[in-house]
Amino acid sequence: METIDSVLSEADRAWRAYGISSTDRRVLAADLRLDLAAAAADGGDPVQLVGGDVAGFARRLADEAGVRRVRPEYRRLLLTALAGALLGSLLGAGIFRALYPVLVNMIDIPRSIDVPVQVAVVVYYGVPAAVVVAGAVTAVRLRLRDLPQIRRTALMMSLLLPAAGIVVTPITMAYAWSTNYSTAPEVLVVETVMVLVALAGATVLARRLSLRERRQATGAPPDVAIEPA
Amino acid sequence: MVLAEGQPTDDNDRQTQLLRGVLDMCLLALLSREPAHGYELVRRMESAGFNTISYGTIYPLLTRMRRLGLVADEQQISPTGPPRKVYALTEAGRARLDAWQNQWTRFAGTVDAILVPTDHSPSRS
Repeated sequence: METIDSVLSEADRAWRAYGISSTDRRVLAADLRLDLAAAAADGGDPVQLVGGDVAGFARRLADEAGVRRVRPEYRRLLLTALAGALLGSLLGAGIFRALYPVLVNMIDIPRSIDVPVQVAVVVYYGVPAAVVVAGAVTAVRLRLRDLPQIRRTALMMSLLLPAAGIVVTPITMAYAWSTNYSTAPEVLVVETVMVLVALAGATVLARRLSLRERRQATGAPPDVAIEPA
Repeated sequence: MVLAEGQPTDDNDRQTQLLRGVLDMCLLALLSREPAHGYELVRRMESAGFNTISYGTIYPLLTRMRRLGLVADEQQISPTGPPRKVYALTEAGRARLDAWQNQWTRFAGTVDAILVPTDHSPSRS
């Protein structure tokens, strides 16, 4: 049984790297386990049966089973989102700089009106955050059109990124408070990393959730590979 | 079709190419005689003389044929071990096997007619 488990573990790694969903991986593995167990009961050694190239066997099996491959492309997604966020923040800063004098001239809040500090904080931090999120989501939606389920990924990002921001902001502020609001480089680096990790996590989660959709079996099977014994 | 040991790799490659086109038909033919699980099919192929076919080739092919509805599998309780996933031919598989067999007979006949020299065929002295 141990050898069957080791073969299945290696096959699972190969399927994962090949972009096979967890649902399909479970089905493939259950089928294969049953067959290998029967072969082992007849005296066959699972490792020898599958051969030295377990990963190749696993990929071939996935192809023949017709399961759909969906590569998450996390690296591309994160880089694109980061580029979009940077571009969005630059663009936002430019627009803000241009519009600020106009807005000040147009909107003159009388001194008698006391604007709550919470509102000011939300506007001060919320608007730039919204611009960053919009930049990341737009970049992903436009630049990664070739990826499956990218529309859904972008939609999930637009929900999860603000949520991650809301969660990480008080945590980062608490950290800043614990350091007496230090502006030492190492403290600033830690704060930046905290925010980036939260946003990257939300982006990866958005992708994972968007790929959880039911997958249909598609694609023509490739040629049969016959290996000389 | 059985390879003798020590034959050149070219022969192996050639046999591989030949098998490529008929392996699914052979598996369907074996299953039409009696349902079997994957490993059993490897042994049957060996008994038939194709000892170059590995489990790693047959199992994915069975999976494909199941996806195409040519074979169906069911679990059978085994008195000596774990439950077996046994493959059997479906109606669609039987119809496909008949069609492939006819095609193969015509094809082999044509090739034979080319390979076997006739009495009045010209020959160089």
